[in-house]
Amino acid sequence: MTPRVYVTGMGVVSALGLGRRDFWQSLLAGRNAAAPVTLFDASNLDRNIAAEVKGYRPEDHLTAREQRDVGRCSGMAIAAARMAVADAGLDDAHLRSTRAAVVIGTTMGEADMLSRIDDGWIRHGRASVTAQDFARYSPSFLPLHVGRALGCRGQVLTLPAACAAGNYAIGYAADLLRAGRADVVITGAAEMIEELQYCGFLRLGALAPDRCQPFDLNRGGLLLGEGAGVLVLESEAHAVRRGATALAEVGGYGIACDAYHITRPHPEATGTVRALREAIARSGLTPDEVDFVNAHGTATRANDQVEARAMREVFGDRRVPISSVKSMIGHTMGAASAIEAVTCIETVLSGVYPPTIHYETPDPECDLDVVANVPRRGASDVVINNSLAFGGYDALVCFARVGRLPPPSDREVSR
Amino acid sequence: MIPLALTGFGAVSPLGMGFEAFGAGYDDPSREVFSTTSDLFDLGPYPGARVAEVRGFDAAKILGDKGLRNNDRLTKLYLVAARDALAHAGLKSGGAWTLYGPDDVGVAGANAYGSLEAIHELNLVARLEDPRYISPARFPNTVINSSLGYVSIWDDLRAFNATVVNGPAGALDAVGCAAMYLASKRAKAALVGGGEALSELLHFGLHRTGMLDGGAVSGEGAAFAVMEPLAAARARGATVHARVAGYGNAFESPEGDALFAPSSLALERAIGDALAEARIEASQVELVLTGASSWAPMDAPEAKALDASLPGARREAVKARTGETLGASGAFAMAVAARRLASGAAKTVVIPALGFFGNASALVLRRAEDE
Repeated sequence: MTPRVYVTGMGVVSALGLGRRDFWQSLLAGRNAAAPVTLFDASNLDRNIAAEVKGYRPEDHLTAREQRDVGRCSGMAIAAARMAVADAGLDDAHLRSTRAAVVIGTTMGEADMLSRIDDGWIRHGRASVTAQDFARYSPSFLPLHVGRALGCRGQVLTLPAACAAGNYAIGYAADLLRAGRADVVITGAAEMIEELQYCGFLRLGALAPDRCQPFDLNRGGLLLGEGAGVLVLESEAHAVRRGATALAEVGGYGIACDAYHITRPHPEATGTVRALREAIARSGLTPDEVDFVNAHGTATRANDQVEARAMREVFGDRRVPISSVKSMIGHTMGAASAIEAVTCIETVLSGVYPPTIHYETPDPECDLDVVANVPRRGASDVVINNSLAFGGYDALVCFARVGRLPPPSDREVSR
Repeated sequence: MIPLALTGFGAVSPLGMGFEAFGAGYDDPSREVFSTTSDLFDLGPYPGARVAEVRGFDAAKILGDKGLRNNDRLTKLYLVAARDALAHAGLKSGGAWTLYGPDDVGVAGANAYGSLEAIHELNLVARLEDPRYISPARFPNTVINSSLGYVSIWDDLRAFNATVVNGPAGALDAVGCAAMYLASKRAKAALVGGGEALSELLHFGLHRTGMLDGGAVSGEGAAFAVMEPLAAARARGATVHARVAGYGNAFESPEGDALFAPSSLALERAIGDALAEARIEASQVELVLTGASSWAPMDAPEAKALDASLPGARREAVKARTGETLGASGAFAMAVAARRLASGAAKTVVIPALGFFGNASALVLRRAEDE
């Protein structure tokens, strides 16, 4: 029998706070994390704003060995994972198990480690690059470091799915549990801001000059952010046996590829529509039952239009409330849908939708019920987390109030 | 795991292009592809080093010259191998779908250092010239999954697109990932495999960390197989080159401060899980396609795990012919396994893959008729 999958713990490292409670309160307060870049010298660039994680100090979260061996990205992943495990009340006996897996997403992973290699190579010659430098760079290290930190002995896997990486990881983690290949999975995603990424998005013309205004007529693009979001997922039986509190149920998820353009979403939103319908159907629901959508909402012209189109296509005239926390924490790239999964689950728990700040002038091309500028109370039994990504990726995950979804046996989707 | 079949292969390797040519080159002892020179970079700083490079590889000759200008080498290797596999499995002919459709086919592919060269290239521009000169057309290559994204774009694959990164175990994990997606009916068929592209930085990294000590050779290439439910494959009359019978993976947390920490225990557990899923005993395994590369720190723990788990099986080191192809290595091993199953050299093949840092995976492939 396919088990239900529950979220039993959450951890987050974000530009708006560490830990789910500080983070959530900052979102509800509508705080804007955007500030001048301090991680590198952006003074000669046309843009210099980002949502950096400033409150994270490795020494507060990592062992001495970890501080020495892991990059900023893995460090934030480990910190968020430890918070999630503490939130879930998971003890070592449950973690140090062959049935405990780790699935983490990212876009570039340990980008600072590679940057260090390149710095040495360019400035001091290849002889200056050490074996340690190279051995510490690999995108596969994120879950390996997390697995080592927690003692997990099941599968460890990196799913680098760009800005949909969190949803890809969460979906796969839920599959592992449903297939009986694990009892508990530590899953999520992490990303750090690197100069290369910042300049790349700048050169793509995607960066906003000062603020992020999803769905606004005058939106000027995205702001980069960083951080990590990690969930503890458990099979129902495992959660019940250890007396865990289920925060939400992971419903169905939908994944598709536009197969259209490497950076631009399909203008007719074909992949997003398909994946959204799939996420709803695989949850055993109909579109009428969705209460709230956490938007990908990057504030680029193309993304927001496509997302609005997908909403109209799937929900018709019913204007489902939608919001983008990227207006506050920026686009955290590979970490985005994992960090935003935390917000989805907080919405399920609280019945409050986080706001989209800087929303001033509605865009007729984005005819949506945007949760503008202040949080709003509303139905929150069923929440969808949307993500799109380079590569034409579309990935959406449904989170629901515990007890709201039909049994997994009633959710079968035939192809 | 639902019963799954491998129904077509594509390969780009110095040993040959395409399943048949690769296999023939692989089995021809007179075909030597290890070289002390490279067309890609100067091997001068690495005395005694050898590479297994796909010399003269020109994707434009195969795919046409439109749209490839900004793609990196890994993407081009992927594109050619993927298209080859789709045709070999009979899903496409002349680029057109003959069976299924775009929404029905996904792809799961591995690489170990996929965006390494692209990031290095743009970091050079940023540091030696100006960050503002970074090419926006090349920037997407810095995203690890972009190469596989291009596969979907070029061959119009609109189901899942999953890049898996797990060192030499990646391609086997891509099979495991796609198997999960196929079991939950997210596609009717999937390309599974992996690739790795040689570059000076990658070669330097392997050299610097000692991974080329003992005669190991840095290699490259890409290989994909088409994987689909066995029943569907049979229903459409496809050639079943192998049945995917079991998959296992494990992680054992490294102890100490070693740069690399391969775990024989993790590999033993992965093999045990794969055999259990395949519902076979170790004694039924006739052939193991090992991941041995001549680098003792990896070869020794693998041998220890195989001695414990599969003591009676013959061993064949695929990397002795391909070089260390990292994310592609499991995919090349699948192609070799299909060849051995077809020839009757074995009815059951195990492919182990030892990761660098405590992780390991294993795959069991069997003849379709031995279900």
